[in-house]
Amino acid sequence: MSMQTTDATATMRATRKPAKKKSSGRLMILGFLSPTLLILIFMVAYPIFSLVFYSFHNFSALRPNAGMTPAGFDNYSYLLSDPDLWQRFVFTGKFVFLCVTLQMIIGIFVGYQLQKSFRGRDVIFTLLMMPMMLSPVVVGFLWRYMLNSEWGIVNYMLTLVGIGKVDWLGQTDAALWAAAAADTWMWTPFIILLATAAFRGIPETIYEAAEVDGASQAYVFFRITLPMSAPVLFIALILRLIDSFKQYDLFFALTGGGPGSSTETVSFAVAKTAFNYFYTGEASALAVILLCIIIGLSLILVRHLMKLGERY
Amino acid sequence: MTKAQNDSVQKLTQWFLIALLAVYTFYNLGPIFWLIISSLKSRADLFAMPPVWFFEPDLSGYQQVFGVGAAAESASAFGVLDSLISSVVVSTVGTALAVILGTMGGYVCSRFNFTGKNDFLFFVLSTRMLPPVAVLVFYHLMFARLGLADTRTGLVLVAVFANVGLATWIMKGFFDGVPKEIEQIALVSGYTRLYAFFRLVLPMVKGGIAATAGFCFIFAWNEFAFASILTTTKAKTLPVKISAASGATGIEWTQICAAGVVLIIPVLVFFYLIRKHLLMGMTFGVLGRR
Repeated sequence: MSMQTTDATATMRATRKPAKKKSSGRLMILGFLSPTLLILIFMVAYPIFSLVFYSFHNFSALRPNAGMTPAGFDNYSYLLSDPDLWQRFVFTGKFVFLCVTLQMIIGIFVGYQLQKSFRGRDVIFTLLMMPMMLSPVVVGFLWRYMLNSEWGIVNYMLTLVGIGKVDWLGQTDAALWAAAAADTWMWTPFIILLATAAFRGIPETIYEAAEVDGASQAYVFFRITLPMSAPVLFIALILRLIDSFKQYDLFFALTGGGPGSSTETVSFAVAKTAFNYFYTGEASALAVILLCIIIGLSLILVRHLMKLGERY
Repeated sequence: MTKAQNDSVQKLTQWFLIALLAVYTFYNLGPIFWLIISSLKSRADLFAMPPVWFFEPDLSGYQQVFGVGAAAESASAFGVLDSLISSVVVSTVGTALAVILGTMGGYVCSRFNFTGKNDFLFFVLSTRMLPPVAVLVFYHLMFARLGLADTRTGLVLVAVFANVGLATWIMKGFFDGVPKEIEQIALVSGYTRLYAFFRLVLPMVKGGIAATAGFCFIFAWNEFAFASILTTTKAKTLPVKISAASGATGIEWTQICAAGVVLIIPVLVFFYLIRKHLLMGMTFGVLGRR
């Protein structure tokens, strides 16, 4: 077989293929995506539409036979004029802010230290990941146990250094810090994981060039490391923001919403309205409000992320 | 600044950083250490003040978790084995299905351009954003109507839904890292796209599949909000069972600590097995595009 004929068949194939490729591609897209789409429609779209529907009705899941009566915007106006709800949003906001700030700062710092090679790094790295592997309920109970004002280990250590006992879960402000400490304990490893991965992805040559130019450590960190790992760090930020916003398990086990109802997040309030009081209509309205906030927030952040990704 | 001064400043900052790192390590590992210690204490030692550091190990917490030994007849031991089975079935089947769907979705999103692709990617990620309690209000009713309430099938469905978004995104990242030329060559050589996918591309992302499975497993294994509301007796998973240990007689701290230790073991094993792929899996999604 001569060179020319093989070239000819190759071009023939290359010209013949695209048409076939396109149709098989479309089939593949359809076949590969439809199961996921079905699940999403059944488990996301359908529930959200129904939630919106319920939110305009008076309805209790306890008495499904009593049926629903249209309520117009009653559920919404009731909720939005309820000062308790605003208090929950404020509490959730404070909690989210504390958690995200603490976790990002500590996570980036520790991740930066851990990207350097030193003996035993892998072992330390794996050990540091452990809090993230625990179930949030266990984390809640563990911190509740450690923070007990009478026999908790935390207060014992505080008395050792002369600070004295703090009633962690009995006061609103202390409980906020306790919850933030527990959430930060659990999720900072996640930021460390992502940050280390991002930092290690930065080519060594860039650092070498900076060293040749005599750049200071701080300059390298703020002008090279941080901007170059921005997309990953931003993903970490989005995930933590959303997760702490919808935090429910931790409060369930740690504070139970107390003292009083001062540590109830919005999620917690939805669960209580829906499954303790069975005001399904009202709970749906609150869930819709919560959804709007989270989806709006995520849309803005994901947009921003896509832009970041394009820049680098 | 002289060179010697500069060196001493650097040494000082070095020590300062190490000290900060040590403080963090204490904050991070202290509670884990305390969890393990407490899981081995008897009731009396648990509440001792000041805390006892040396004590006779007491396995009653673990006996309660598995419902064996002295705790076999106790009320809290009732149904523990069932919830262990529930946990294992729900998280492994749920993880497997989520990873299969995520692999397929991730591949298509990585390789093809089609209308609505970005919408699909956002839609699928929304599964991570939805607050469980929001959809739970509806699931609660829907599951009751469909006969899925308090069944493992229902929880598997929830596990797939909750993890498919994450799986799709991570897998898309891994597929982005595989050169497109591989399929092009295969197509030119007369193989089908399916063949290229199964025989050529899939083996190249084995590590990615492992990492994705690891993450999904962690989330499914520890999931609490859905399981606590959608199950009542038969399909309770372990985290739900643990929360029930805060019953009428006060909170069973030893049992909770022991359950925490038991719960973390499969995750640790999983994490250890996928450790090489973890770092890659988390960044490829964004960095691999370059």
